[in-house]
Amino acid sequence: MSMLIQQQVCGGAPDPSQPSEAEGLGIQDRMQRSGSPTRSSQSPKDIVKDHNLSKEDVALIRNSPKHIVCVDMLREGYHASFSELFALIQKWNASREAAGPGSAIWQHRPLEEQPSKLHELRRFLTRAEAAQRAGLYEEVYENQVALAHYFKDPEDIWLSHYFYEAGLKSARLVASDEGRREAEANGNMGDVCMERGDLEAARDHYEAFHRLSASKAWLDATGRSYAARACEGLWKTYTLLAEKMLADKDYESAIGTLVNAFVMAQEAGNKKIEGEAAYRVGLGYQCVGDHPTARSYLHIYMEISSALGDHESLGKAYKAIAQSLESEGKFGELTEFLEKFVKVSSGNSQNRNLVEACMYLGVIYRSRGEYDKGCTYLQRAYDIGCGLNDLPLLQKVQVHLGSARAHHMMMAYSRHVEEAQPLDVRKLLAWKDSRSNDFYSAD
Amino acid sequence: MVKMMKMAMMINPLALPKGQHKLCELCQKPAHVQCTKCRVTFYCNASHQQADWVGIHQKVCQLLVPLRTAVPFHALQVDRDHHSAQIRQRKEQLIEISRATAQRKLLEGLHMEALPAAQLCLRSAREVFGCSAVELVPAYLLLAEINIGLAYVAEAKEYLTQAEWTALRSPGCSRAVRHQLQRNLGRLYIAEENLEWALFHLANDVYYATEEFGLDSPKTCGGYLLMANVFFIQEKTDIAMSLYTKVASTWHDHLSEVLESHVHSSAAVEDLLDEIRWVEAEGTLHSLLEAQRQSTQEQPYLLALVSHALAVLCLLAGDLAQALEFGRKALSNSQLVPDCSLVEPIQGFLQLAEQRLGERDGSGAGVITDAGDEPSQ
Repeated sequence: MSMLIQQQVCGGAPDPSQPSEAEGLGIQDRMQRSGSPTRSSQSPKDIVKDHNLSKEDVALIRNSPKHIVCVDMLREGYHASFSELFALIQKWNASREAAGPGSAIWQHRPLEEQPSKLHELRRFLTRAEAAQRAGLYEEVYENQVALAHYFKDPEDIWLSHYFYEAGLKSARLVASDEGRREAEANGNMGDVCMERGDLEAARDHYEAFHRLSASKAWLDATGRSYAARACEGLWKTYTLLAEKMLADKDYESAIGTLVNAFVMAQEAGNKKIEGEAAYRVGLGYQCVGDHPTARSYLHIYMEISSALGDHESLGKAYKAIAQSLESEGKFGELTEFLEKFVKVSSGNSQNRNLVEACMYLGVIYRSRGEYDKGCTYLQRAYDIGCGLNDLPLLQKVQVHLGSARAHHMMMAYSRHVEEAQPLDVRKLLAWKDSRSNDFYSAD
Repeated sequence: MVKMMKMAMMINPLALPKGQHKLCELCQKPAHVQCTKCRVTFYCNASHQQADWVGIHQKVCQLLVPLRTAVPFHALQVDRDHHSAQIRQRKEQLIEISRATAQRKLLEGLHMEALPAAQLCLRSAREVFGCSAVELVPAYLLLAEINIGLAYVAEAKEYLTQAEWTALRSPGCSRAVRHQLQRNLGRLYIAEENLEWALFHLANDVYYATEEFGLDSPKTCGGYLLMANVFFIQEKTDIAMSLYTKVASTWHDHLSEVLESHVHSSAAVEDLLDEIRWVEAEGTLHSLLEAQRQSTQEQPYLLALVSHALAVLCLLAGDLAQALEFGRKALSNSQLVPDCSLVEPIQGFLQLAEQRLGERDGSGAGVITDAGDEPSQ
């Protein structure tokens, strides 16, 4: 009776209402798995024609990919993998429902309709579960991380985050490797939290990563040491945190955090970010008006930049130091640094910096009454600025240059007005006619 | 037996009016005995009547009377429609009663007594819905399960095949029905010792149940438990144990929740945990204990879970002494597991149970002293 009915069912065409569910991939996969020599030479079509279909083959045609994968896992006893997969699909559906039609997630293809992803999930989840039953948490961790690496597409990034999180949990259970995997998992979680923008959590994870990997010689796949990675992560997190504090005008804690970032950058052994961190600490101190301390950090930045031969950062350092000196009113040193700034910026196709440097210097000279020098620098700034295609900057330079020239001519002009001799009057009239720049040279 | 004698009246098939064949309610052979209460049911002998009476007939005896007597004459169409609607309603009632009776007897393990009820259920469902309706599937499944329980594999297979065929032909068949069907197919293959197929169907069962009731519903546990038993037979002990633990923790969580809402909202236990669920919980937990006993490896975590769940069940049933005993067992086992999250809830539970015991003893003692005081006055 049973056989008869089965043959009737199998002999008929597959249910026309569910044509999309007959996934070719599932059938091929099954054929590989069953490994029977007679079956493996058949194509799915042959299977449908073959009247000795087994229940499995019928299930492949009638059921959805999700159903097939779930049943495969369950019949091998991987119930935890099944629960996990099922919960993930439910979670995705729930977040899609919550987002509603018209949102980005609404356009994505549901996870349950993507057989390749389901199979990948099944492969690694079942391996992880088998390892877990055997108590091999290293392997559990490796499989979870493999899944996290697999889901790198932007639309699957939540899965990647989920598996990194799961990885951290199993890494904590690994006893045999002195915390290496726990450190790595914390590092990964730090990256995940940074991507999500949760800086506080990222800091906690990176700090754990740093604590665990300190004084260990572990290297990752690309050959970088864990300790350095931890330090860099912390540097980045601290810097971003401090930026947020600066935006909230909480300068004290911002400076504390920036100093932490600097310490981390030093520890990381990466000169470039060390300089960068010192620069930010300097700027932080400038904000609260502590210019001597600011300068000491900026000097570090300057030294590192010159050691690295990075002219652009060097320029930035000079400029920042000059700003500090200006606030302190130390004009002697100020002009010295600004001239260095001009020198470093010239000849390295950093025209923008050069314009700024020249303008800065010109303005300083002008404000100190050295109109001659002021005009020279501002003129130079103007000449270079003309080629930059930056109108606001150029207009600024124009105004400064105009005012410097005006000041410059003021002395000669007022002398002529005061003396009021016929010659002076003539000169004034001649100048008024021509409006030339060289009024001063006319006497 | 005296009562039975009064109820039974002998009839002679030869004395029946022409064309009328009275058949036995249970075996469909020519009948010689008639029920005197309803006068519409017949049996081939007294033992069949006895079996039917215990199984279902005592509950539906009077209900059958209007269903099996000739249709009275109604002059108006309205009256005829009214009458047929009433009959249909009664038949549906009959299906429901017989189904519930069979289900409960089945859960209690009384397979033989469940059989008449399930048969009646199927027969009335056929009368109401026709021979190939999807509504017949639950009845087929009940019969199949009963037959598997009685080790009548061939009959069980026949019913299951019919159920499968009916379900296959009706695409609107609900997942709850499919899950029952798959579970019973699993049971059948276990009985036939075809373990691979059993696993295939049980996996489908768990899948449908999860789709329908959610991941942590105790309704999925039946499938998991059967799967665990199969793995146990296959000597894959680690898988079996992990499945047992899964079942135990699901029931444990469910019962803890029930206890929680019982204590906090003082809702009646019957509302939170219906009778069928109750019997199922008890059966599952005791079979888990049994499985644990059979395994060579000590599983303190599993044992703690099961004992705690049983303790909660005893407390809900009002058996405080037993609850305390199980609770202490759970505590001692949970303390064997490092960093066990169960220790605290179990300690809390023990306090609750002791407090209740104290209250009851206190009030009980009060009653005794009252009773003792009265005569002296």
